[in-house]
Amino acid sequence: MREAFAFARLRGRGRCSAFAVALATVCVLAGCGGSSGGDATASTGGGTVNVGVASTLSGTFAALGVPGLNGIKLAINQINHSGGLLGHKLHLVTADDQIDPSTGATVTRNLILNHHVQVLFGSVSSAVALAQAQLAERYNVPLFLHMANDIGLTTTHFSKQIYEISTNTDMEPAAAALAFVKFFGKGPVRIATITPDYSFGLDTVSAFLHDLKKDGVTYTVTTQQTPQLGATSYTSNISAVLSSNPQFVFVGEYGGDLVTLTKQGIGLGLFSKAKVGGMYGWDVVKAVGRQMPAGVMAWNRGAFWAEPSTAMSAFVTAYKSAYGAYPDEWSINGYDAAEIWAEGVKKAGSFDASKIADALGGASVPTPRGSITIRACDHQAEVTEDTGIVASSVNPTYGVPLWSKTYAPPVKQIIEPCSVP
Amino acid sequence: MTLSSDIVTMLAAMTEASYLFIAAAGLTLVFGAMRIINIAHGSFYMYGALILTSVVGGVAGGRFWLGLLAAPLALVGIGAGVEIGVLRRIYKRDHLVQLVATYALFLIFADIALHVWGSQPRSVNPPSPLDGSVVIGSGKFPSYDLFAIGAAVVVGAALWALLQRTALGWRIRAAAEDPEILAVSGTNVPLLSTSVFMIGAALAGFAGALAAPLESVAPGLDATIVVSAFIVAVIGGLGSVVGAALAAIIISLFDTVGVIWVPQWSSAFIYIAMIAVLALRPWGLLGVAER
Repeated sequence: MREAFAFARLRGRGRCSAFAVALATVCVLAGCGGSSGGDATASTGGGTVNVGVASTLSGTFAALGVPGLNGIKLAINQINHSGGLLGHKLHLVTADDQIDPSTGATVTRNLILNHHVQVLFGSVSSAVALAQAQLAERYNVPLFLHMANDIGLTTTHFSKQIYEISTNTDMEPAAAALAFVKFFGKGPVRIATITPDYSFGLDTVSAFLHDLKKDGVTYTVTTQQTPQLGATSYTSNISAVLSSNPQFVFVGEYGGDLVTLTKQGIGLGLFSKAKVGGMYGWDVVKAVGRQMPAGVMAWNRGAFWAEPSTAMSAFVTAYKSAYGAYPDEWSINGYDAAEIWAEGVKKAGSFDASKIADALGGASVPTPRGSITIRACDHQAEVTEDTGIVASSVNPTYGVPLWSKTYAPPVKQIIEPCSVP
Repeated sequence: MTLSSDIVTMLAAMTEASYLFIAAAGLTLVFGAMRIINIAHGSFYMYGALILTSVVGGVAGGRFWLGLLAAPLALVGIGAGVEIGVLRRIYKRDHLVQLVATYALFLIFADIALHVWGSQPRSVNPPSPLDGSVVIGSGKFPSYDLFAIGAAVVVGAALWALLQRTALGWRIRAAAEDPEILAVSGTNVPLLSTSVFMIGAALAGFAGALAAPLESVAPGLDATIVVSAFIVAVIGGLGSVVGAALAAIIISLFDTVGVIWVPQWSSAFIYIAMIAVLALRPWGLLGVAER
């Protein structure tokens, strides 16, 4: 009997084979990174200075790019309310890089050449940031990176115009390794890893394992899982990890991917069978909610609850008032990046990129995360990572379990000596 | 690996197959009856998940079931709007035009979602009593995942009954064969097309809502799922709902086996499967060859 559901071919309405669908699939694979194209708003003149943000504002990674933009926007608004910068009002011009290096280069060039921006704040993606860095160098515009953090963007390749405000891809896993020693000791321990199958994830896990060895931890790796970026199901990976019987699972996923993995891991018993470590910041913990498993080792580029300073409290209040939500690490880093640039302009007494570079190299700038020094040799911000252990009870203020223990590894222990020639 | 972990692993693969099948079934149904390659199908899936998160809000429990009902119903309305407002005007145009039109819809829906629901990932928990796990030997498996597998079986059976045992199903199959003759026989073919598209959209919305407790609901979900659903539909044979079910199971098993045996290459497995099927049987496993 013929297959029950199959539809026969349609006569007289044109031919359409599976190849057409493959074409559609390719189209989607190639172009569905985001929604709208560059949405740069109009340039303004007369006493205003344009500030450019070319970041990922659509698609999956808008979950990182939009909060980052919100942080920058808040800083710019505060500067304007207090009279502007060197007597000029700041005007924000934004563009969506769609997490694509080619699109990123196009919209960044547009910001520089047509909107005459005096500063750029860059992408979520290090690949896009690399394209932006080349343009920033060519056109002599300062580029502040508050999300993309590949070590190659600053530390191993120095440009006077590029500033890294976050921990880089060497510093972040180094901090996680130190936190591991602090919370769990030096082993021996069986470790499994799950990281996205692209450079950030692979580099991070490789550096983490290398740093563990350097810190004196004895370990064996039971399995290394590399699911696709943006996967909707991690159940196979989690099953494979559980089958390998690890004591600790290093998770290099982040944002929505980490939320998905956590939810699926809870159901499969991942968190009750092994200790787990990952980038469990505010955005992820809030999304997972009350289900958030206790005992997870977390690290994050800006955990506002772990840094109870006056400056951080003021920032959190202002952010919540502006957006009706608590800031995440991306907002905090975006805000800091804008503050550092503004301080550079003030110190230089000019918007000139070279003068700002001279003023900021080696300078310390007060931010919600404390005083941040921009290393003169490579423009890497001397910042650390917040780490902690997720509490077993819900925090009454925030409505989710946050961290019960916190630890901020000293910057000197996670930052490599300057290697720029 | 122990027997219990093997069972858990296979069940995990079936969970993935369940919502993949429901999403792909809608896609393949629309293509089979209307010859439309609907890229906006991924948007319908994402909207189903987002609508569920809005209905549930921060409240666990009964609202989940309301959301699971509301999501496909809302998509029925959206699907009707899209079919009447856009697709009906381009049925006689080239397939490439239809492809571009549905891609444009995909982008528009993505922007609307960003403005309405924001960029932050959302999450809902499974409702009680499905929020626990069942013990299988030394392992455990989420109760909700078993529910998702059961839901896919029910949807598959309902689709079979619809297509094989109802007058509407007969008309849908007839429309796929020859819409002109069907129109001459007195059937309102435009209304039938709208109905099919509404069913396809509802299936996508239901799949999204069903999968919401299993994943993070955020922008970008549309692109991820439409690629997977297309691969399933192509491997199964466009227009074949049983093919979609078979392909969803094969893809999920491929993914699972790949992850266990060659984890570094597992991401490429499903694409290798798609290329192999396209090379050997371009019309898919249970599809019908174009003549």
